[in-house]
Amino acid sequence: MRRAALSLGAAIVAFAAILAIFAPLLMPHDPFAQDLTHRYTPPFWLPGGSSAHWLGTDGLGRDYLSRLILGARISMLIGVSTVILSGIIGTTLGVLGGYFGGRTDAVVMFIISCRLAIPVILVALTTVFMVGSGLWVVVLTIGLLLWERFAIVARAATRQVSGLDYIAAAWAAGCSRTRVILGEILPNIAHHLLVIATIDMAIAILLEAALSFLGLGVPPPLPSWGLMISEGKDYMFFKPWVIEIPGIALLILVLGINLLGDGLRDRLGARTEQ
Amino acid sequence: MVGGMNHVIEAIGLSQVFRQRQGLFASARQVMAVDDLSFRVAEGSALGIVGESGCGKSTLARMLLGLLPASAGTLRIGGADLRGMDRRARARLIQPVFQDPMSSLNPRRRIGATIALPLRVQGTGRAECRRAVARMLEEVGLAPEIAARFPNQLSGGQRQRVAIARALIVNPRILICDEPTSALDVSVQAQILNLLMDLRARFKLTLVFISHNLAVVEHIADEVAVMYLGRFVEHSANAEIFAAPRHPYTRALLASVLTPEPGLGLPEMPLGEGSPDPTNIPPGCRFHPRCPLATELCRNQAPPRGAVECHFAASGAGA
Repeated sequence: MRRAALSLGAAIVAFAAILAIFAPLLMPHDPFAQDLTHRYTPPFWLPGGSSAHWLGTDGLGRDYLSRLILGARISMLIGVSTVILSGIIGTTLGVLGGYFGGRTDAVVMFIISCRLAIPVILVALTTVFMVGSGLWVVVLTIGLLLWERFAIVARAATRQVSGLDYIAAAWAAGCSRTRVILGEILPNIAHHLLVIATIDMAIAILLEAALSFLGLGVPPPLPSWGLMISEGKDYMFFKPWVIEIPGIALLILVLGINLLGDGLRDRLGARTEQ
Repeated sequence: MVGGMNHVIEAIGLSQVFRQRQGLFASARQVMAVDDLSFRVAEGSALGIVGESGCGKSTLARMLLGLLPASAGTLRIGGADLRGMDRRARARLIQPVFQDPMSSLNPRRRIGATIALPLRVQGTGRAECRRAVARMLEEVGLAPEIAARFPNQLSGGQRQRVAIARALIVNPRILICDEPTSALDVSVQAQILNLLMDLRARFKLTLVFISHNLAVVEHIADEVAVMYLGRFVEHSANAEIFAAPRHPYTRALLASVLTPEPGLGLPEMPLGEGSPDPTNIPPGCRFHPRCPLATELCRNQAPPRGAVECHFAASGAGA
């Protein structure tokens, strides 16, 4: 069962990654080409649907499948970049605090507490509102806000690891501080951080969707899934598939990432406890 | 170098005080882990340090390794002050073997890389390191293919052999063994001890061997120091200490050793209840609350410094 969950999660994430990487090759139509004579063509399983547009078209007659595929690219891009950014910030702070302890740790804990006191959505909205929306503005905003989980876990794991004898042995071997941190501590806390990365990636993707839904995320005409939901919300009672399709895509991707994270935690945890 | 003998370890007035704070507003208490300790270890000899948990023996090991700077006093290793010694130079002089081989090997590193680490730090190239690892594996009695494995694929005894190989790869002059056999199965303990004795002769090592197992220390050490609350209460030659212990604490320790004869029952421990508390070292002789010989003198006045720190050592009273 657990293995199945891990495999399913990995398959979903891998599929989304393939869509993201090969988006230009996989899109059947130009996702930006408007065709106002074919607005709101329903998807193929509904009456009026056709194989010309498998998932129908949006309010400007753009091919929905193509936009969904390009949307996967944007979601993954935002998920991965924000996690890299927040991972670097959080891990650096956490490892420094956990390793040096004392005053350094107190400063790190203070910074983490400050960050925890910040309401993420509010600050993200304000920032994007003031700076103006854009893909990299969204990445920077989310990345600079979502590092606290990394910091907390990295700090706790570092504290735990740095008391072990192999760290003392590395010191006795004459290792420099950098070498001890990079060679002994980081590899031994990496599996915790990997799990955090999946959690934060899912959160970042949802946060981007929320920002885009509010019109403050990725600017049109880029097809973010959140933006697609937003653009379709006026028609949701008449043509529910307009928001169902990107909504389900979002659900599946976030579910897949979470399954992957849970599975990794179980597998990696079991391996280190041997 | 004082005297005729070449002393590779010289400790003068070595102390280690930890400040321990329990709770945010509690005042810090001082933990006297090592208290004004002076001793020397001759090149090529083996010093055994025995004592119960919390007597400061592991703290002393960490100080000798340079992992813990002394609060006071000087420590000279190989004739040079440990304080301010280059970390690579220190690593070439002195290396550790720790108690628990589960936690002394990095679980994410292959055995070959673990053994090679001290050599890599010295700046030795990869090819040379590989050759040295192969040689060391042979020295400690392990198969060469072990180098590609991870620690969790090895048994406790194999891991301790790996730890020894790692310590000896830089050809150090001193090996600090902090309870190297107490985490191992009894059947494996003897093998590891014999290996250590064997390697000690071949590598001309000076050994500091910390243990709470008197039989092990008797087996391996030339000199034995009995540690109690941060001080050596008795420090003499192996034969002397086991044949004629002079400090009451040493006598109690020796009396506490279990014998294999079932008819004798559990040994009697004339030490009373409770274990010593390094945050609250008794005035006078530090052993007096547990000493069967304690008198008014012991309660008020610390015994003279020397090989045996007991007011009655010279007279042999109560022996």
